[in-house]
Amino acid sequence: MSKINEVKELVEAGKSKKIGTAVQVALDAGSQPGDILQAMVDSMSVVGDKFSAGEIFVPEMLIAAKAMSKGVDVLRPLMAGDNSSSLGTCIIGTVAGDLHDIGKNLVSMMIESAGFTMVDLGVDVSAEKFVAAIKENESVTLVACSGLLTTTMPALKEAVATIKASGLTGFKVIVGGAPVTPEYAAEIGADGYAADAGSAAVKAKELVG
Amino acid sequence: MNQRENFQVMLDGGKPEFVPNNFELYKVCLLGADLADEPLTGGLDGFGVNWVVTKEGEMPEPNRFMFEDIANWKEYVHFPDVDALGIEEAAKIELADVNRDEVIIDVFSPTGLFERLAAFMGFENTLCSLVEDPDSCREFFEAFADYKITCLNRFIDAYQPDVITYFDDLATANGLFMSPAVYRSVIKPSHKRIIEAVTSRGVIFNQHTCGKCEKIIEDYVEMGAKMWSSAQVSNDLDGILEKYQGRLIVEGGWDSSGPASYNDATIEDIIAETVRCAKQYGPKGNFIFMPTLLNENGNAIFVGDPRLAPMIEAWHTMDKL
Repeated sequence: MSKINEVKELVEAGKSKKIGTAVQVALDAGSQPGDILQAMVDSMSVVGDKFSAGEIFVPEMLIAAKAMSKGVDVLRPLMAGDNSSSLGTCIIGTVAGDLHDIGKNLVSMMIESAGFTMVDLGVDVSAEKFVAAIKENESVTLVACSGLLTTTMPALKEAVATIKASGLTGFKVIVGGAPVTPEYAAEIGADGYAADAGSAAVKAKELVG
Repeated sequence: MNQRENFQVMLDGGKPEFVPNNFELYKVCLLGADLADEPLTGGLDGFGVNWVVTKEGEMPEPNRFMFEDIANWKEYVHFPDVDALGIEEAAKIELADVNRDEVIIDVFSPTGLFERLAAFMGFENTLCSLVEDPDSCREFFEAFADYKITCLNRFIDAYQPDVITYFDDLATANGLFMSPAVYRSVIKPSHKRIIEAVTSRGVIFNQHTCGKCEKIIEDYVEMGAKMWSSAQVSNDLDGILEKYQGRLIVEGGWDSSGPASYNDATIEDIIAETVRCAKQYGPKGNFIFMPTLLNENGNAIFVGDPRLAPMIEAWHTMDKL
């Protein structure tokens, strides 16, 4: 098995303790950092698809993302200043009045694994804070707003409306959360919707790529 | 039949006279849980976890973890002294003026095995631990089950309840958090002990799991749960009601993510959902209606809502079998 394939398999299996060594071995064997990173992104794409298809569950997806993160730690010093493989910055947060973070965190991990730089605003994020973060960060290509509760759907609507009315451009807005449907996402003016973390990464790439 | 008599018929697998609305069926008792599990008004619980109050209820403060490596749990987890909790006093307060002949006494036991570990170390760490260090998880769950069982026995002594509702949200809207195999291998052995501790005292065990958990309903029934709430529509409720007739009472049915649960749902939306539940699930005979009516202040049952009365009235026109 090629060294780079070994990295792919370790990401998919979520072997975070072994991934660092495997990445280093691949580098030593002559693989380019960008190719190794792309291999890990591809692995996470497979993981996301398997999750969306119900073949694996949240823990398996989490440990895969954790493994990729450990692998990226090895590559980072070698790729400083190289943004060629980045899909830009994604601002993410759970909307005002909602303190639930697990769905948002899973989406964040998967979008990061797809090649975005994440800026996580946390929970209970006001519409104004989303706008401020878009202004404060460079290369924002995506804004992801999460809401778990029917009671915070109005806050999701307000967040999208405020972001869209801000006059800022160059990014897409995606929304998600248990009560959110594609129809609702379209109704409130979002550019995209995803039902789960795996498909959120696919949608993010589709919108930005 | 009154609520108690009707409920007993359901438990016996017979045909009830009417389909209960859970608003009217129970005297829900929460104060024991306030002392043993999670403070209803927020603040630190007996383990040192800080709870924050939201419109939908209390939850552990996000991103504040007691530990992040399950292997270290013994260094951080110190079980409260159950004798000092004051459960008996709580029961006296809650049961004053309750007519046991008419209503069902339902004592809540929130923060089950999985939720408690997540309260300590967050969901992501918990979920990773289930597959990365299952042995330490099992050890924690066994120890926590011991605490839970001690508390449940005290609840049973003090309240003499008909039902214990044990809360553990093991699922998302799309499916279980963890695979059924991981649940069965890591969580279920301790879960089984908890259920048996309740049922061995002659008390009905109501398993509360939100989300799409249908893959482990069989496990719940096999372990002795006689009820499941808050059965959400992401599950095949029709199939489950059919399959477990006479063995499992299904409490739920309301589309808690649908338009009838939106803040601005009209009375017509709410009545339409009420009628749908009555027609679709009621005739099976093992269904309890559990509406979730929310408004901008939170859950209508706690904060009030002018749409409640028309909903209950609509239910009463439909609930006879």
